[in-house]
Amino acid sequence: MRASRIVQAIALGLALAWSLAPIYWMLATSFKNELEASALDPTLWPHAATLDNYRGLVGGTLPFPTFFVNTVVTCLATAAVAVAIALPAAYALSRARFRSRGAVAYGILVSRMLPLVVLLAPLYLLLLHAHLLDSNLGLVVGFTTFGLPFAVWMLKTFIDAVPIEIEESARVDGYPRWQILLRVVVPLILPGVLTTATFVFMDAWNNLIFPLSFMTTLEKQTLPAALVVSFTGQFKTDWGGMMAAATVTTLPLMVAFFAVQRSMVRGLTAGAVAGV
Amino acid sequence: MARISLRNVGKRYDDVVALAECNLEIADREFVVLVGPSGSGKTTLLRIIAGLEHMSAGDVWFDERRVNDVDVGDRDIAMVFQNYGLYPHMSVYDNMAFGLRRRKLAPADIDARVRRTAQLLDIAPLLARRPRQLSGGQRQRVALGRAIVRDPAVFLLDEPLSNLDAHLRVQMRAEILKVHRAVTATAVYVTHDQVEALTMGDRIVVMHQGRIQQVGTPAELYDNPVNRFVAGFIGTPAMGFIECSVERTGNEVALRAGDARVGLAPQRAQAVDRASTVVVGVRPERLSLVDDASAHADTLTVRGVVQVVEMLGSEQYVHVEVPAGMLTARVTRDRPVKPEEIVTLRAAARHLHLFDAATGAALTAPVRGEI
Amino acid sequence: MAAGRRPPGAEPWLDWMVLPTVGVLAVVVGYPVVYTLVLSAQHYNFLEPEPARFIGAANYAQLVADRIFWQALGNTAIYTFGSVLAAALLGLVLALLVETYASPRMRLVRALLLTPWAVPFVVTAFLFRYMYLQNGGVVNAVLLHAGIVRAPVAWLNNASLALPSVMVANVWTMTPFFFLLLSAALAGIPNEVIESARVDRARGMSMIVGIKLPFLRSALLVGSLLMVISNFNDFAKIWATTQGGPGYATTTLVVYVYRLAFENFQFGYASAMGVVWLLLLMGFAVAYLRALRLR
Repeated sequence: MRASRIVQAIALGLALAWSLAPIYWMLATSFKNELEASALDPTLWPHAATLDNYRGLVGGTLPFPTFFVNTVVTCLATAAVAVAIALPAAYALSRARFRSRGAVAYGILVSRMLPLVVLLAPLYLLLLHAHLLDSNLGLVVGFTTFGLPFAVWMLKTFIDAVPIEIEESARVDGYPRWQILLRVVVPLILPGVLTTATFVFMDAWNNLIFPLSFMTTLEKQTLPAALVVSFTGQFKTDWGGMMAAATVTTLPLMVAFFAVQRSMVRGLTAGAVAGV
Repeated sequence: MARISLRNVGKRYDDVVALAECNLEIADREFVVLVGPSGSGKTTLLRIIAGLEHMSAGDVWFDERRVNDVDVGDRDIAMVFQNYGLYPHMSVYDNMAFGLRRRKLAPADIDARVRRTAQLLDIAPLLARRPRQLSGGQRQRVALGRAIVRDPAVFLLDEPLSNLDAHLRVQMRAEILKVHRAVTATAVYVTHDQVEALTMGDRIVVMHQGRIQQVGTPAELYDNPVNRFVAGFIGTPAMGFIECSVERTGNEVALRAGDARVGLAPQRAQAVDRASTVVVGVRPERLSLVDDASAHADTLTVRGVVQVVEMLGSEQYVHVEVPAGMLTARVTRDRPVKPEEIVTLRAAARHLHLFDAATGAALTAPVRGEI
Repeated sequence: MAAGRRPPGAEPWLDWMVLPTVGVLAVVVGYPVVYTLVLSAQHYNFLEPEPARFIGAANYAQLVADRIFWQALGNTAIYTFGSVLAAALLGLVLALLVETYASPRMRLVRALLLTPWAVPFVVTAFLFRYMYLQNGGVVNAVLLHAGIVRAPVAWLNNASLALPSVMVANVWTMTPFFFLLLSAALAGIPNEVIESARVDRARGMSMIVGIKLPFLRSALLVGSLLMVISNFNDFAKIWATTQGGPGYATTTLVVYVYRLAFENFQFGYASAMGVVWLLLLMGFAVAYLRALRLR
């Protein structure tokens, strides 16, 4: 049986290497100077390590700190707004039987399935008429199209897990529903709320198509879109700089991801394992 | 302190009828137990009284007030749930105070009430703890305390002791009764355990398949069950039943099961009237194990094969398969019995319960006599 | 006897609670969807001075005849289903593999195996683009040094290699999702089931296939559906890597619609394509869910 153990260990090692190698590569390249980064025969680690690439982000032609702030602001706002609006709806869907419940649930499911591109042209025109193009608010509106349905779905699975007796006790005590939601349910699903907010945050951070389409001024762009734009501009062959920008774009997301990683499982599996 | 009146209460979920034609009058300060097997509708009925569910038909009245449309929180009730329903993120103190805070009482007032109730239930040292730090029995007391502290007109308890181990359950039954006497409120208690019902209730409501079968004191239910279901449900060990055919010879009416035959007294013979078969029920303590198999007048003497013998300390329950049914005898251990043995059981005719074979309704009560 | 039909007091709070969500979605999703349907029946070029005019189903006719549309559809199918299948398999293997190790150190290993998912898609795209460089890319460098190839391969510039190359990046990103999902599902299998299987002398493959897989079925199916829907929407991963090229080799429906809308400004035609795509996706989801329920 030792042989199979060894095979397993090798397999695990390969899996780890496969998962981490590209990330290492990104980090390593970000510390290489321009010459080394575009060398025909790449070096395994930076022989002449430098922080120039990172310095270039702050002082360079493109305002990366501004992009960073734009991204953080819009993604945080989306997360907060989505969760706030979704909570009552998730609670209602979880707890009550009302006539339009099926329709609402189905509608939200369909919203989740919607290819965003379908919304692209009309949303563009909608934002244009509302004078919201090229603005953070407009971007948040765009992000909400996928953030809100997702938040409702995920929050609902967390609320489903709260034993109904606890709420019924509060009802017997005379508390109205919205107070029960805020004072009894939310404290109990706080990890779930944070996980949901993080997921929405991550989804928004990852989104490229809306910033590219809705933002016309470069200074207002988010990091993903800025990366694309800068590639043809500032970083044409400067892979070192590109990777530094990439690292900066990755870091917040990775931190957020690992913060909620454990709780993530429950939100995913509660919905997935038990059925849609 | 409230009279509760249920008039023709019914409840359906789509096509499933959970409750039908439930009529019940509960007096002020009574301790009423709703008992029945799972699915009988007892919890549904309780929740309708509470207002957590809405009836499909009928009315619920508290004193002179029709409460159908009154919200849960406005009915002046308190409820103890099977799973306690304690707020996990609050201390025991806060759990108990939560309901009071809603009613805008002064903090000093709330504090006094919480502490007084905690004393009554022996949970004063636990006030600072969280529910997850408590044992099952302790959580149960907190749930009770939370209900008591509200000083409601009606207490509703939904199988509060089901999650406790047997020993604790017996202890808590006495506690609950003691508390009930102290707080002078009306109480409706749901359980599936008929022993619990018999020991706790002033009156018992037996439910089956969404309908109220019989309402009465424990003695009434035991001595005069109104149908076969109640007869078989109340009492430990359960009543045994055999199917008998009716024989009429001239003016005499007799019941026969295989070789066994028993004549009926005239007043009972009337009730049997035109039936051709009748179900006979016998309480285990009315059966004796005898050695001679000959028929005696005014007794039902029947032979059968012993299936199971349950030894219970000073007595034994002998389960016997007889022609057309199963009887259980509750006898002393003087006469040893073994499974597969053939034995003779005898019961006096006046102790027999007769039920309609088709509807299960009681045809005639046993003659009152010696216990 | 009066019968209470509608639970009073129970209903109003529901309307209030659902209203914000329904309201917002009606505006940002409902209205655009309707608008899309309208646009799809119009000739609307954003740049042209003349206003939009109604042309009925002409856009759809054009769509059917559009060779690029069909190519994009095919690319989307290959990209989506191929990637999801590969990621699900790899995720399954990883989950089964890691499950056999019970030590607490595995928590770190698990976390490390999840990192690809935490990388923003745009970053993944540029990262792999860098690694796939014909001259200077680390992939070619490794392959050359190992002697597997003799000349640098044009991963992203070769029409037949481009899509698979992008799919590899996609699988890299997606596998952790299935790994996490299936690990959780595996952990959820009741111990008694495993133990009684062991008593019945099930081992190795028979244990995996016979006992464990059925428990994973639900998670696998739902997870796959989620990822298919997600992949249909993939824009960043493809756009940042190849912009849909070379030619139209990696152009999926998303990319094509985006280019039609924001490079050619043909809003009407792009909307028609969006509608077709929506119908395809919904049809797929319905069929999938029905298949789920039947079994």
